[in-house]
Amino acid sequence: MPDTDFNEEDILTRASQGDRDAFGLLYERYLDRIFNYVYYRTGNLHDAEDLTARVFQRAMNHIQNYTDRGVPFSAWLYRIAHNLVANWHRDRSRRQEIPINDVPVLPSKGDHPERNLVRSQEQSTLLRLIRRLPPERQNLLILKFVENMSNAEIGAIMGRSEGAVKSLYHRTLLALRDQIGDQNINLDND
Amino acid sequence: MNKLKTELSDEQINALEEHLAGTLKPVTPPMEVVTRLRERIHFPEPRMIVSRLRDWQRMFLVFGGVMSGMLVLITVARALFYLVRRHA
Repeated sequence: MPDTDFNEEDILTRASQGDRDAFGLLYERYLDRIFNYVYYRTGNLHDAEDLTARVFQRAMNHIQNYTDRGVPFSAWLYRIAHNLVANWHRDRSRRQEIPINDVPVLPSKGDHPERNLVRSQEQSTLLRLIRRLPPERQNLLILKFVENMSNAEIGAIMGRSEGAVKSLYHRTLLALRDQIGDQNINLDND
Repeated sequence: MNKLKTELSDEQINALEEHLAGTLKPVTPPMEVVTRLRERIHFPEPRMIVSRLRDWQRMFLVFGGVMSGMLVLITVARALFYLVRRHA
């Protein structure tokens, strides 16, 4: 994988000078992460593909505007993704009410199929509950669990302090606990 | 009562986090999606990019080598020219 061969700072410098190959390396490095984020925020594969492409096209067109002021490149990309997803939700809500579908099942990394089947009903319910949360809370959960980010990294993306992210996370868990109480999800350990 | 509603026990936090981790799992984009995206943004495959970059580095080395060699040749030629003129 080219990741091991190149330093991100060098790649960014070259990409911002219009080197498409250098941007191609950034694309390979961040494609999965951005796709995951968009996929969970939109809940469908087709729009996730379209929006992921638009995130990278927009990033490529504006990369000369990216300057490292303590905000990592990944945070800049996620902000683009966040804005595009927000526009997508706005456009959809104008046209029609968003159906709260289950996120379609894609193969998870390192998952066991039997465990998947047993949990699918519970997971579908929980996904529905997550998708009813306000967008910033959905973002937080996706970045924390799908992208495995720390509160500080999430703060850099969401433009909040680490403490604010921690507090938002706590409020999100509280809200989920209350909603789960109305569903058939067992919060006792399996 | 109110306190109970606004606070989470460690067990509840652990259970919620376990459920969330089991539900929000990283997914792998299907290969055809990756290929379509690459085509849509007109990016070559990573191995092609790497080989091109390596070629570019090799070209730079070759160019640097040629220039250094020429510099040595010019210096030797000038020295010879100077010596020949001095003897003549």
